Amino acid sequence: MSFSLSLAPAMLWFDTPDLAQAGKRLILLHPVDMAIIAIYFAMVLGIGFYLKRYTKSGDDFFLAGREMTAWVAGLSFVSANLGALELMGWAAASYQYGILATHWYWVGAIPAILFLGLVLMPFYYISKTHSVPGYLQLRFGEPTRALSAISFAFMTVLMSGINMYAMALVMKVVLGWNIHFSIWVSSITVGVYVALGGLFSAIFNEVLQFFLIWFGALLIPILGLVETGGWKGLIARIHQNFPQGDYTHLWQPMAHFAGNPMGIHWTGIVLGLGWVISFGYWNTDFLVVQRIFAAKDIRAAKMAPIIGSYFKMAVPFIVILPGLLGLALLPFKLVPESAVGIGQHSYNEVLPLMLARYCGPGLLGLGITALIAGFMSGMAGNVSAFATVWTYDLYRPFIRKNASDNHYLSMGRWCTILGVIVSIGTAYLVMHFGSIMDYVQALFSFFIAPLFGTVLLGMMWKRVTPAGGFWGLLAGSVSSVAMFLLVKFNHSMLAYIALSSDAKDMAENMYRALWSWLICVIVTVAVSYFTKPKPVEELTGLVYGCTELPDEGHLPIWKRPIFWAVISAILFLILQWIFW
Amino acid sequence: MEEKPQGLHSGGDGGAHRIAVDQKDVKPHDHHMIPVWFFVGVILLIYGVIILATGIYEFSSPPPTVLAKTHPAVWWGALLTVIGGFYVYAYMPKKS
Repeated sequence: MSFSLSLAPAMLWFDTPDLAQAGKRLILLHPVDMAIIAIYFAMVLGIGFYLKRYTKSGDDFFLAGREMTAWVAGLSFVSANLGALELMGWAAASYQYGILATHWYWVGAIPAILFLGLVLMPFYYISKTHSVPGYLQLRFGEPTRALSAISFAFMTVLMSGINMYAMALVMKVVLGWNIHFSIWVSSITVGVYVALGGLFSAIFNEVLQFFLIWFGALLIPILGLVETGGWKGLIARIHQNFPQGDYTHLWQPMAHFAGNPMGIHWTGIVLGLGWVISFGYWNTDFLVVQRIFAAKDIRAAKMAPIIGSYFKMAVPFIVILPGLLGLALLPFKLVPESAVGIGQHSYNEVLPLMLARYCGPGLLGLGITALIAGFMSGMAGNVSAFATVWTYDLYRPFIRKNASDNHYLSMGRWCTILGVIVSIGTAYLVMHFGSIMDYVQALFSFFIAPLFGTVLLGMMWKRVTPAGGFWGLLAGSVSSVAMFLLVKFNHSMLAYIALSSDAKDMAENMYRALWSWLICVIVTVAVSYFTKPKPVEELTGLVYGCTELPDEGHLPIWKRPIFWAVISAILFLILQWIFW
Repeated sequence: MEEKPQGLHSGGDGGAHRIAVDQKDVKPHDHHMIPVWFFVGVILLIYGVIILATGIYEFSSPPPTVLAKTHPAVWWGALLTVIGGFYVYAYMPKKS
């Protein structure tokens, strides 16, 4: 799933749609590579057929029976986020921006994931709701749920289609595959295995995909570091090839907007990315949070994101490092998509180029399988989350109440197929109207930052009223759209919204998210003071201070989530210090 | 449709009662599903064997890649085979 955390790199593919027509291919697969890819497809379908027999109820289909261990839920949680565009997009971003791109994996993820595990997850889990909009219904009532569910369902299925098209485009450029073949084969496979086994199937395959992504991509940094003579050799070569830019420090170049290629100030990274966007995405985007809802008990639900944080922290090794290795080792310079000439390669091709540099037959198939697996895990995440939100938060409350569990299970299966069909339709729409991509990617981000404000206030403060929650969420979303349109139609507004006329798209996203979150919080608080709160007894299990949180006192220290969260946080800080 | 928060106050005592953090509060399933780790093992084992075999073949016909002389397909294939084999062995479904 690519939302604004991976927004810019994903969008890079669309800067020049002519790329796909250029007919070039970077990699030629051998029969053994094709066999490896075919085995992967057979395996994921086989898992779907196997798990169908265990998917007998709504809880099985939408919540994987709530029986996943912390490890399974945690790996699935990370895998659902680790899409193919994420891999290729951030490798490209690291070639373009250097190690600054790592912020999206560290400050843009780790604090938020730990916060989810330690603070928010107990409320989600104790309320036993099926979804994030479901929690909003319990806390604020139907209007807030409806607003959140409609926006989420609409955007999720659209994003799924956009990612599908982007992946098909990647396959065309990298492998020369027919774009229609890629769209139909991959989406039908995902549709079949999710419709058969529901979240069980999605999670099982995501864990499988997690291993394939790692084993498929890990060889590039290992061999790359062998070739450069280690980290010091890598840095020396980058300085030699690009003496004027700072590609190897995380924080030093961000004292000024113009001091780094992203055109961003450290406040934008810390407050916009590290606080609002990251906390919004990791704590309220149902696509990733749904994986934790499937945990077997509260400790597993708390541990799952904490386990995930360790792997998320390690992802730059397989994503950012290949981009840096490209800077150090490639004998030619990559260029932006918009500047690609004959015989040139774009930033986006850095990962496939490095793959082709080191991987012969067999290993190449494994690397390509990793990309396909990444794409399918993201798409499966989209359609399973869409099916749940549609069935439980739109169909059941507003269209058909009080039907049998079997009816909702059946609806979930059909809805998965429907989600895939709409995604395919979106993919073709984007193919013909590429500019839709810009708007839909941005639209998705409009709802995440305000939603985080609503959920955070709702969970932490019992004084927030149903009216406050609804109007705050609406005001935050509307103001975000308004800011986007303002800059679109009057570029001088950028200096006010992003605090600098030098700000690039990424920086604008950060600040827009921050303002829309603030507006949501202010409106929520203001409206709440003028409206009547819910009685405390109705807030039990939903709000801090009205809920007795689970007791971990009987557990040895090494089994407590807080223990592993603190270690993760210390590692995170050490990494910031090392690469400062 | 109004969902009700469940879990903490399902005991009918009119308020929250403390629950253990590792208490399983849904009915245990009586099925014996093959663990996901077994599937992970199977695919890693298959891939490991294929890549190892390719790597051995490449001793006589090395691919035109950088560092091909280090034979990455051999050691990476061997690693996948060992890890896959371990998972298959450790999580092999037991006959009841």
